Amino acid sequence: MSQAYDPFSRLTALKPVRRRVAVQRLEEDTPGLRPDVPAGAARLAEILGATARSNRFGEYLALRRWFSEVIDGGSESAAPEGMFDPAALRLIAPEAPKEAADPQQWLFLDTETTGISGGTGTYPFLVGIAWWDAGGLEVEQFFMREHSEEHSLLVALAERMAERRVLVTFNGKSFDWPLLETRYRMTRTVRPPVPRAHLDFLHPARNLWRQRLGSARLPELERHVLGWNRGPDMMSELIPSIYFDFVRGGPPEPLVPIFQHNQMDLRGLAALASRVLSAVGSTAAEGCDALEIFGVSRICERRGEAVRARTLYERSIAAELPPETDRAARRALARLIQREGDFARAIDLWQGILGNTREGFEAYEQLAIHYEHRVKEPHRAATLTKKALTELRKAHRLGLVAPAAYRQQKQRFEKRLARLERKAGRTLLDAMAAGSVGLAD
Amino acid sequence: MAASSQGLATRATSTLDLVREALGALAARYQLDEVLTAIRHLPAREAKYRSMPAWVRPELAEAYRAKGVEKLYSHQAEATELARAGKDFVVVTPTASGKTLCYNLPVLSMVLENLDTRALYLFPTKALAQDQLAELHDLATRLDDRFGVFTYDGDTPSDARKAIRERGHVILTNPDMLHTGILPHHTKWMRLFENLRYIVLDELHTYRGVFGSHLTNVLRRLRRIAEFYGSRPQFICCSATIANPGELASQLIERPISTVDENGAPAAEKLFVFYNPPMVNRNLGIRRSYLNETTRVAKELLSRKLQTIVFANSRLHTEVLLTYLQQANPPQPGGSQPIRGYRGGYLPGERREIERGLREGRVRGVVATNALELGLDIGSLDACVMAGYAGSIASTWQRAGRAGRRSGTSCAVLVASSAPLDQFIVQHPDYFFERTPEHAYIQPDNLEILVNHLKCAAFELPIAPEDRFGGVDVQELCARLAEVGYLHLSGGNWHWAQGAYPADTVSLRSVTSDNFVIINTNGDDQGAPEVIGEVDFSSALTTVHPKAIYLHQGQQYHVERMDFEQRKAYVKPVDVDYYTDAIRYTQVRVLEIADEQRIAGPAARAHGDVLTRSQVIGFKKIKFFTNENVGDGKLELPENEMHTTAFWITLERALLESLPFALSERQSGIFGLLYALESMAALLLMCDRRDLGTAFGERPPGAGIETEWQPTPATPREAAEMKEFFEPNLYLYDAYPGGIGFSEPLYRVHDLLLRRTRELIASCPCENGCPSCVGPAGEKSERTKEAALAILERLSDPNEAMAAE
Repeated sequence: MSQAYDPFSRLTALKPVRRRVAVQRLEEDTPGLRPDVPAGAARLAEILGATARSNRFGEYLALRRWFSEVIDGGSESAAPEGMFDPAALRLIAPEAPKEAADPQQWLFLDTETTGISGGTGTYPFLVGIAWWDAGGLEVEQFFMREHSEEHSLLVALAERMAERRVLVTFNGKSFDWPLLETRYRMTRTVRPPVPRAHLDFLHPARNLWRQRLGSARLPELERHVLGWNRGPDMMSELIPSIYFDFVRGGPPEPLVPIFQHNQMDLRGLAALASRVLSAVGSTAAEGCDALEIFGVSRICERRGEAVRARTLYERSIAAELPPETDRAARRALARLIQREGDFARAIDLWQGILGNTREGFEAYEQLAIHYEHRVKEPHRAATLTKKALTELRKAHRLGLVAPAAYRQQKQRFEKRLARLERKAGRTLLDAMAAGSVGLAD
Repeated sequence: MAASSQGLATRATSTLDLVREALGALAARYQLDEVLTAIRHLPAREAKYRSMPAWVRPELAEAYRAKGVEKLYSHQAEATELARAGKDFVVVTPTASGKTLCYNLPVLSMVLENLDTRALYLFPTKALAQDQLAELHDLATRLDDRFGVFTYDGDTPSDARKAIRERGHVILTNPDMLHTGILPHHTKWMRLFENLRYIVLDELHTYRGVFGSHLTNVLRRLRRIAEFYGSRPQFICCSATIANPGELASQLIERPISTVDENGAPAAEKLFVFYNPPMVNRNLGIRRSYLNETTRVAKELLSRKLQTIVFANSRLHTEVLLTYLQQANPPQPGGSQPIRGYRGGYLPGERREIERGLREGRVRGVVATNALELGLDIGSLDACVMAGYAGSIASTWQRAGRAGRRSGTSCAVLVASSAPLDQFIVQHPDYFFERTPEHAYIQPDNLEILVNHLKCAAFELPIAPEDRFGGVDVQELCARLAEVGYLHLSGGNWHWAQGAYPADTVSLRSVTSDNFVIINTNGDDQGAPEVIGEVDFSSALTTVHPKAIYLHQGQQYHVERMDFEQRKAYVKPVDVDYYTDAIRYTQVRVLEIADEQRIAGPAARAHGDVLTRSQVIGFKKIKFFTNENVGDGKLELPENEMHTTAFWITLERALLESLPFALSERQSGIFGLLYALESMAALLLMCDRRDLGTAFGERPPGAGIETEWQPTPATPREAAEMKEFFEPNLYLYDAYPGGIGFSEPLYRVHDLLLRRTRELIASCPCENGCPSCVGPAGEKSERTKEAALAILERLSDPNEAMAAE
């Protein structure tokens, strides 16, 4: 039973955890292409109507398409006219220069990558950009047919970014753009473009709509906020393996939905950006529902626009928020008002949200602080703290608070109570010493 | 014993007096020289000074002067000159000899000269990096914070990371973080890599075996990236005393390196004691339990207010000792626990708190595994007690160095277990005190390890046709990786072609990166299930198998369930009077013989590739204090197959026939011999006994021919039932997939190995064999020792033996 020992046989044990779907390798060789270009490349170009472009670094595939409507239907289906409201822009990107208000300078960007963990081995194989043009949206996509086309793709992108200097993304601040910067650095020759401003709409959208939707994923926002249903879309988890299959000689058809997905991401982003800006604009809040007004107030507060935040919080409360958000709004408002020194009004607000919620316990604490330090009535503060502790224990028994939060909160109240009781005792003694309180008390 | 009287009669200092008193109390009941086999008084040593070099920036020289460093020790002067000359070097001097200055001085001087200069310091653990940070911060403060020093590890908050990447002149990190957090994101570290001038590897001797083999590959990746950014950093290494520091260092950095090993630092006075627990049964060679004896020694020291660190060799023993010592030293009413445990499985916050307690003196005693062995600043303790030999001379000195690190008198007590290694050391004190025979070995081209790093390297930068990576054919390996879908060839370069992130699945501390999480199902005080620790895959099989007693911070837990798929063990706190010890069963199959030679005997020695198949088949319950076996259990855990390398000796039929013993005695002798060989191999390789596996099997029919699985007898009795004159192979294999470089050295030094093994058995005072030489006598024949010696005699070549003498 002789058998040559193959030291590499161990490698077979090292196969990737997720086995690749068996790829049917394409038979026909694409004529006229470099040998590294995958067999399906020519057919892909044909299906998409894309063309191979080249620059001094090599080739890449490019595809352009104009959409007469940014999205199909809805108030954001047309390109914006004129400049954006600078006040609205300031809320989204406080440091952005003036030209950010010029829609002609905007360049939307979205990438499809070979992985989502980042790092130097993750490639953006499809880079989509878009800009408003002729009342609609022009979308351009750059595709690397295999790894060595990345260089030329990056150069093409840099050229487009030089034409329009305001970069606009959805989660691109933490994902797409750092990844592209990494790719530019990896070339050691092409300088990363430096946009004049980078507007990212993930956080504003979260502030405005996550309360209502429970998610801030772009397709959800499109459906519920913009009233646009993408229709069939692909699962983004599958994207890397579809690309690798193609690169290894698999058929090009599975890639087509990725191009469409990327186009829809760009269109949704463009429409969402307009929608966000009109929601946070100075004349806004008219067409907004209570939750959206609440979201705008949060954005205002974060950007330090306290006066506007206060007005809008009040308006959102008046417009009837769901109980949870109502508490959050009252809490934020109370804090703002307290900072302005209007304690009487703040006390009212805190009183209104006392209870076994996060804000409720904060209200107990704030009231206790108020009575202890401002009003100097330790007895009253102690009574409130005791009540808070009872409520907290009850909430814990009912499983309404997380164990860690419970422990922490409980410790704070107990510490406060111990101090208050010491103080209360002392005040009583002081009072007795002064003769104003008799022992009969 | 001359040494002992001399030792006990030394100049009285308070610590010495107290230690002498404690030893007196301990030894009173026994014959002194049988228990205290060595008492060495290591006198204080004078320093050799050199002046501060002229090239050191005046403000830096001033900062050092303000800290009390006006002159350099001779080795520091030598090292810093090499650093200044741009040479790679390794400094080899004992603990507390001022090694850190050897890198801080030249690096900081250069940083102050040119603020673009960047340096990367690697420490084997996070805690060590933290410790160095304090020292560097102090210097930075004295220099108006003109340079930035930061640690970068898993604990670094994410919002601080960007600033560290931009502003850190000196980055302190560990190989694991470099591997998963820095190299795969090198574009973010552009400033570091473009200006990387120095790489400091401290505690170099810890980078041996698997860890060292991994590190070599991480450094291959690091050099590739540095080259990409146009820098060629210089290496400065520091190591504890081992026999081949230069060889190890140049293997790790893969270029020639200078060695600085003439220590010019002064040394504080120290008493070093070897304590051999007294015999309780001379026939069986049974000594009093060394854990109990360690407890007694530590109790005597603690009761004399000496702050004491106790080292144990395993987590289990740490916990057992902790239980004993906490019982003996309860906290003062209202006070905190004066005796604490410290080991790898504890969570970081807990560890930092214990370190602080030690420095501040609140913690009077600590029971630790090797987690505290390295240069952590826990202040200067008075005494160190080691429960069992640390496995290497270098480690033992480091542990001993934890007591009296800075100045003053201190003592170190090594309490020998009945393990052969311990007995060999305490009965041959010169071997320990006079020479350093220990070599560190690595095997960076272990295919399993290398391939994992090649994947990471491809992720970091596509692999170009001219790229080299270790001693393998990179292009062929990449082609193989492309076949299984990891890489893709494009434009002549191999690109990473997977969605996943390769470094995440590669642990530098083991060959596989599976860890078992231990979950207390009774939970925290709120009753929520709580994760109390982690164990690596291979120890999990023996420590958290179903029905095992797992110990954590002195608390016993019963393992209720082991979820093999999810890598989880569910435990419940219990209070029982026993602990458990797993039984493993192993078979070996030879795949390929690398070298083979006939030797005296007649016998043969060989090394090569093997496949092992092992299984934990059961466990024993061992009672605390008495160490009685109070029950056992069967287990059905999955079999574990492993490709590795092995060294083996084949005993030929003629040798067996020439032995004047009965079959069962002969078999017993072979088992005993294997037991002793393993001990001495671990000694020579400076590895843990667990790094080596032993097995016993029939000689393969011929070189290169695959053999069938052979049942390996678990006990000599079973072996005796095997056929009369089968020719046995005695295997010593690397207990890691792919092997980590032990087999070839063992093949090379087999003469020395056989000689030491003979010394061990021959000098053991037991009559018929004991755990200290040929293994416990219980299941063995009465003539085990005799038979093992007879085989060894035949194996040693008379000519060579003469030449050696």
